[in-house]
Amino acid sequence: MDIKYDFSSEFAIPISYGSSEVIETGKWGFEKPETAFMTAPCQETCPAGNAIPQFLYLAGEGRSKEALEAILKENPFPGVCGRVCFHPCENNCHRGQYDEVVSISAMERYIFDVTSNHHPDIHPISNADSKQVAVVGSGPAGLSAAYFLRLLGYRVTLFEARKELGGVMRWGIPEYRLPKSILKEEIERILQLSIDVKTGEKVGKEIPFEELDRFNAVFLSSGTGLSLSLGIEGEDLKKVWRGGDILDRINSGDKPRIGKEIIVIGGGNTAMDVARSALRLGSRVIVAYRRTRAEMPAIEDEIREAEEEGVRFEFLLLPVKISVLKNRRIRVKFQRMRLRGWDQSNRHKAIPIKGEFLTLEADGLIKAVGEGVDLSWIPETLSKNSLINVNSSLTTSNPKIFAGGDAIDQPRTIVTAIASGKKAAISIDLYLRGCTSEDVFSKIRVGNKGALSMEAYLSGRNGGNWSELKEVISYPQLNTLYFEHSKRVEMSKLNRNKALKGFSEVNLGLTSDEAGISASRCFSCGTCNYCYNCYFFCPEGLISLDPLHQTKTVDLDHCKGCGTCAKVCPRYVVLMKELS
Amino acid sequence: MKEFMTGNHAVARAVRLCRTPLIAAYPITPQTPIYEKLSEWEASGELKGIMMRTESEHSAMAACIAASLTGVRTFTATSSQGIALMHEMLHFAAGCRVPVVMANVNRLLAAPWGFWADQLDSLSQRDTGWIQLYCENGQESLDTVIQAYKIAEQVYLPVMLSLEAFFVSHFMEVVDLPEQERVDRFLPPIDLPHKFDIDKPGFLVPVVSSELYRKYKHMAQISVDSVKEIAVRVDQEFKKEFGRGYGIIEPVMLDDAEVVIVTAGSITSTARLAIKDLRKQGNKIGLLKLRLFRPFPVEAVRVALRGKKKIAVIDRNISLGCGGIFCQELRAALVHSPDHPLTYSYIAGIGGTDVTPEVIQKIALDVMSKNEPTDAPIWVMEDY
Repeated sequence: MDIKYDFSSEFAIPISYGSSEVIETGKWGFEKPETAFMTAPCQETCPAGNAIPQFLYLAGEGRSKEALEAILKENPFPGVCGRVCFHPCENNCHRGQYDEVVSISAMERYIFDVTSNHHPDIHPISNADSKQVAVVGSGPAGLSAAYFLRLLGYRVTLFEARKELGGVMRWGIPEYRLPKSILKEEIERILQLSIDVKTGEKVGKEIPFEELDRFNAVFLSSGTGLSLSLGIEGEDLKKVWRGGDILDRINSGDKPRIGKEIIVIGGGNTAMDVARSALRLGSRVIVAYRRTRAEMPAIEDEIREAEEEGVRFEFLLLPVKISVLKNRRIRVKFQRMRLRGWDQSNRHKAIPIKGEFLTLEADGLIKAVGEGVDLSWIPETLSKNSLINVNSSLTTSNPKIFAGGDAIDQPRTIVTAIASGKKAAISIDLYLRGCTSEDVFSKIRVGNKGALSMEAYLSGRNGGNWSELKEVISYPQLNTLYFEHSKRVEMSKLNRNKALKGFSEVNLGLTSDEAGISASRCFSCGTCNYCYNCYFFCPEGLISLDPLHQTKTVDLDHCKGCGTCAKVCPRYVVLMKELS
Repeated sequence: MKEFMTGNHAVARAVRLCRTPLIAAYPITPQTPIYEKLSEWEASGELKGIMMRTESEHSAMAACIAASLTGVRTFTATSSQGIALMHEMLHFAAGCRVPVVMANVNRLLAAPWGFWADQLDSLSQRDTGWIQLYCENGQESLDTVIQAYKIAEQVYLPVMLSLEAFFVSHFMEVVDLPEQERVDRFLPPIDLPHKFDIDKPGFLVPVVSSELYRKYKHMAQISVDSVKEIAVRVDQEFKKEFGRGYGIIEPVMLDDAEVVIVTAGSITSTARLAIKDLRKQGNKIGLLKLRLFRPFPVEAVRVALRGKKKIAVIDRNISLGCGGIFCQELRAALVHSPDHPLTYSYIAGIGGTDVTPEVIQKIALDVMSKNEPTDAPIWVMEDY
């Protein structure tokens, strides 16, 4: 330091023209701030372990391409999930305890929509031995497994019995919820990683199962394929259809003539899809369900939209007999039910009210009471309880055969199927590298609900240097003093009259303004979103932030460890660590 | 031009007349009217400076120090808890040799809470290195602000003037307002040395060695001492320009007095009246008004009180465990005088209690009746 001691007059005071930086005040401290990210509850609850706070931050900054790439690290289907996922993430959003949850699903869709035609910077890692893996079935599980196996460097052959890829996304979900063009774009992005595709030939039929022996590993993701029957008289009548068949026909471009008045049996997503599709075909629709609205397994959004569009619901009705009238209409006799007790899955049980029946007439009936897994084409040893049997790492009784999606025992949703594809890809990689004994899954978990991080897997896979596990952040750990109350942003919708005229997409997505507001509502629990609180409040001005490269540095030579940065961080990202 | 106004507004008017470019303050009763008046003039454009509203008195003083180091005249006003909060920065101001001028409206210090006149707030800042002047009325407060700049800018030391809550700050009196041209002549615009210079960045108050610290303190002591002469000279120049002067002390009917009442601040004007009556009754009594408190005018006081028999110092303050603060200072000043008078400490007017001519007469009669020295302060209560 260059201090000038001026004694030229008695009015003088000492002045320094050097910098006080030479004084390493950081040596005085007992604690140092550490940036430690945590897992947000949304991220933990997403079966795919999506880095939600991160992609919302990037989207909010207008960095949509980076946001897309952040999603694609864990989930190859942002366009699909942004439209049809049941978004459990939103049920656990901490913002819900403050005012209203963030519109995560709509944001995922927005990111996909605005980055359309963008070629993401995603490449397979180099894998010299490049073994071959067969994937049977191209639904969300199969395509995800193929995608992640490809990223892990394997040569993948994808077998699909139908002429087009997509499985339930292609044939089961109506156009007004998931336009085919969106699905096509997502599948094309996956296929760009060079995946060998064989369509129109069914394994177990045109292709013998033994044909799969030449692969180093096999992933079975054949979905369900069988419609469950009601087991009642009249079920095989001409005007009684299976929900899956109707959706398949509509999704194949057909417009089945189902009549003016239709009864749909069931309370799941297929029932809702069928009911709403029937409205679009010009029918009046009654949905009959044996429990009440609260027990319906369908996504809440779908039930609400069906109600809004004019589907009539009749609850506590179990069909017992279907017959044909002279005027060729059908008559359905229902047993009236009541709720009593709970079943194994903690749902109310419905039991008959003795002697009480109801009869409804209609032009046709569509049954949508669930699907069974077609196991006829696989060796008997692979199945159990009408499902393909797998252990926790998705391995069947044959160590080189793995399975996932709706064919195994897990919730039948798109995102759980995607998650099983990812998990299977990791299992297959571990198997092919002879690392099955290592407990890798606990090292790459996202929270405690089963989600896995492919990014964590890729970073630790080679050297075994696994990144530190992030704990799940609790609501009280947030410093909500820095947040302002605001309303959740909802997508606008096609008006009802227009919507019912055809199969145009109902949800219209967010505008860029709405997306900006929506992204900024995210508390970014446990993930730095460069709010600059620490920067502004640091009394010493020692913090440098670089949002572009997402880095943060603290000048520890001068940090006295006052802890202000940790106190003012709204998202619990800065922690004070005692110096040893 | 004469105007009827409060002591607070007289102070504000003086600040405007001195063309102070930077005022930084925080409101506090009973000082707030100064703050409000200056804000009003800033809004109307009559004040050519910046009225900076800081978040505390500590910050107000920090702002004044920093601004002064960039070369401009600065002002702040405060009171009681405000000056207590400012304490740390008062040392910085004196140590940085900045000629900041501050008006302190004397108000008691909590606890218990109150707003009334008491000199303990400014006297508690005795050792901060500030020059301190005590004003008797609104006119003197106005004139002292103008004099304060002239003193401060010659010695590069901050000056505090004190006026008592309500008795001076809020009572309205006729005040003779000096003309702007004459103030400009007496106190021309100034460009203080730029200690802060953007072309040559540096920082003040670096760490210094023990010896250097001692050296700077010693230089400051020499400067503060020189104020005794400078203040007299400035007052004389002021009298020449404006026709009014106050001296650093003011002897009243002292020549033949045997007993002397010593006061500072507004009690002086009451004492002037009481003395007249006591004189009429044939008592050889006089009055000494203390105006400059820091530096303490030891020599002037010694000369003024030479040969007197008894002194009664009336203090509107108390240093608990000792006595009236003006009395302590006076005793210390007289200790080297041969045959120095007996000095009695009377505590009157604490917490804004009224000191009437009758109270002063009682004190005078009491001191005249005493023949033995008394160390302890004598509290003047209603039943006294």
